[in-house]
Amino acid sequence: MDSVLILDVTDVTFRYPKAGRDALRGVTCAVRSAELVAVLGPNGSGKTTLARVALGAHAPRAGTARILGRAAHAWPRRELARVVGVVTQHEDNLFPQRVRETVLLGRYARLSPWGAERAEDHAAVARALARCDVAGLADRWLWTLSGGEYQRVRIARALAQEPRLLVLDEPTASLDVRHEMELFELVRTLVEREGLAAVIVTHDVNLAARFADRLVLLSDGAVVAAGAAADVLRRDVAEDVFGWPLAVSSFDGRPQITPLRRPS
Amino acid sequence: MKWLALAGGLVAVLFAAVVFGPAAVPLGELGHSPIVWQLRVPRAVLGMLVGGSLGVAGASLQSLVRNPLADPFLLGLSGGAGLGAVTAIALHLPGSWALPLAAFAGALGALGLVFRLGLVGGAELDPRVLLLGGVAVGAFCAAVTTAIVSLAEASELRNAFLWLWGGLSGASWDTVRVLLVYVPLPLLVLFGAARPLDLLVLGEEQARHLGADVTAVKRRVYLAASFLTAAAVATAGVVGFVGLIVPHLARSLWGGRHRSLLPASFLAGGALLVAADTLARVAVAPRELPVGVVTALVGVPLFVLLLRRWTAY
Amino acid sequence: MRCWAHRAPLAGWLLALAIGACRSSADRRSTPDRGGPFSVVDDAGRAVALAAPARRIVSLAPSITELLFAIGAGDRVVGRTTWCKYPLAATAVPSVGDGLDPNVEAIAARRPDLVVLYRSALTQSASGRLAALGIPTLVLRHDRLLDVGRTARLLSRLSGRPSAGDSLARLIDSILAVPPPAAIRRRRLAFVVWDNPPMTIGGGSFLDELVGLAGGENVFHDIRSASATVSLETIAARDPDWILILTDSASRPPAWSTRAEWRVVRAVRAGRFLYLPAELFGQPSPRTPEAVATLRRLLEATP
Repeated sequence: MDSVLILDVTDVTFRYPKAGRDALRGVTCAVRSAELVAVLGPNGSGKTTLARVALGAHAPRAGTARILGRAAHAWPRRELARVVGVVTQHEDNLFPQRVRETVLLGRYARLSPWGAERAEDHAAVARALARCDVAGLADRWLWTLSGGEYQRVRIARALAQEPRLLVLDEPTASLDVRHEMELFELVRTLVEREGLAAVIVTHDVNLAARFADRLVLLSDGAVVAAGAAADVLRRDVAEDVFGWPLAVSSFDGRPQITPLRRPS
Repeated sequence: MKWLALAGGLVAVLFAAVVFGPAAVPLGELGHSPIVWQLRVPRAVLGMLVGGSLGVAGASLQSLVRNPLADPFLLGLSGGAGLGAVTAIALHLPGSWALPLAAFAGALGALGLVFRLGLVGGAELDPRVLLLGGVAVGAFCAAVTTAIVSLAEASELRNAFLWLWGGLSGASWDTVRVLLVYVPLPLLVLFGAARPLDLLVLGEEQARHLGADVTAVKRRVYLAASFLTAAAVATAGVVGFVGLIVPHLARSLWGGRHRSLLPASFLAGGALLVAADTLARVAVAPRELPVGVVTALVGVPLFVLLLRRWTAY
Repeated sequence: MRCWAHRAPLAGWLLALAIGACRSSADRRSTPDRGGPFSVVDDAGRAVALAAPARRIVSLAPSITELLFAIGAGDRVVGRTTWCKYPLAATAVPSVGDGLDPNVEAIAARRPDLVVLYRSALTQSASGRLAALGIPTLVLRHDRLLDVGRTARLLSRLSGRPSAGDSLARLIDSILAVPPPAAIRRRRLAFVVWDNPPMTIGGGSFLDELVGLAGGENVFHDIRSASATVSLETIAARDPDWILILTDSASRPPAWSTRAEWRVVRAVRAGRFLYLPAELFGQPSPRTPEAVATLRRLLEATP
């Protein structure tokens, strides 16, 4: 399939109001269809800010952020929700809800305010549940799910939007090994089989290196390195960015970093 | 199914409100008794409208401020209404509509104040600011009201507090007509916001990503719910617990989807208030209890039951 | 009538209940002598004994102030409440604030040798605090017509003018002894004190007594408390002939009489209102005979 430029961030500079410094400095990042891009960097390097500006939540002071050719900031929220599915870092579901209900919420952007849900909406929900392998959980209450299952349900909801781009902000932050692997495998599958574009903001450098097509390494609001994992995760660069002595090895053809213990 | 039961319950409650009362009206005369047609029927309809408004407003506000304990009166409206009413009496404003109009104006004043607070510093109606601001404005108004009453001479002012405790005594076809003109618009706005409210419950950021125009929805819902509450207070005083309990009752049976939750809250709220009012009229006849007392006496045990169910999840 | 608390209505309800309960166990004994010409038993059942007639009296209720002036002890009144406006001479006396929630400091500042309080839960603590300061207090219940005579006697004993009190008491009692006119048409009346919620006067109030003496019948006589909230439909069903309004000034139909729901009541529709000056009818007082006569005149003049 031919690759479409979905997300196009060019030389973006951004500062939060009343902040003393720029949160993003000349950041460039592009995401195409059927591509998984991982955004890495230490805390406070601007990863989440990049996601927000890229999705039009804030307008950049300089540079452009475009989605499918249109300025991200200019997209009406409803239209944008038909193109981009986002799973945020935190979600605080106030009232008890079932899995099927929450996934159905993903159809909001395609429903009229007064119309009822149609057969195609329920079909989209069923498909999304199946792709995320949570179809069996459809009638369970959300609070009875494990962390990993819950995250997969949230991805299913994003998929129910039928997006072309999936953005996941630290989706595996509190997941154990198995659930983390399951999540990355799921995203990888979606990218390869269905041609979705995906951006994962993550702390897990090693898994990002193994699963992503390209990495973007941020430090202090600027892109330090971008491209294939082998080009980005070089020992001198990584040590500099993460501020800790590292050893770089290889696994599965991809670089893996191992933090060293401090000499006593 | 559930809706039939609710509708049936509502019809039964309305029937009881018309048939029962402290004045003994024989069944045969129900058809042409002025007590029934000029007092009981408009009173039942008013109870339906006020209780329903409070139920819907409560459900919407609980989702808006993301707090299951939110109540329409937490936003300072009751304090403003009380202050308006007391001012009208103290100034001897003329006309038989002076008190409700002044109470309405007072409620809107409080609404404006809290709304303005919610916009301060670009906070864009932050739920915590709304809640805290509402409590602050309400408390301030209540303090000023109490000061006026304790310092002023007219013993009528003390009776203003009785009015504030809630009652449908002012019900007539005139009042009903006014509400029938006023209530549908905010009600429609809230029903129309059912889907975005579903999203809002997930958190504002996630709601935005799913396509909701969060800022606009919050404003619409807050204003519509407050207008409904202001009208309810102006016509019937502060009737507590309806706006708090009814949404939870409805939620436990209909779930959190606002498309069914909001209409269910309307019907259940109306039924609850009409039932409470009938009880208020009949329980200690010929005397009458303030309906706010009955809703509290009935509402609190119900709430405790709900709490137990909720924590048992 | 003073049962309405000016604080939270719940307190008002509790207060009304408490007063209603107190009413049934009111101490109506006449004063047994317990040593000394200046000692009485007050309405709280306490013995109050003074060494000498009271010369500096602080009165904490308008009805008591009026009574003190009526028995000729007005010159001994050194403190009154802000609501004590009658007789005119009373307004020259310095005010010590509110009577229901007394300001003990202001009272003590008048250096009284007797403080007269209206009996209620709120004044009980004030009574205790005054006693702690060594100031004798007299607690009176002054709600019904019977109370006027008895109270007059108590006050006159303590102020050293027993004959004045006795003669006033005899006058009042004589009015009460006069049988009501053999009314051929006994007018059915109802007081409406407030419109939303509708409040009326019940059988427990002296206003009800006045109505009876004047030849009328309070349709809410069966309610035992002094005032009560009733349903509008009850008023409509009991169908009073005339509605009594206590007013300071106007003799115009009240604003609520134009409201649609009130027009179900026949008397409201027909505009049948009788206006009673609140000053005269506010509480039982030496002018009560005048009040009864006024009401009687009004009723006889009605068609």
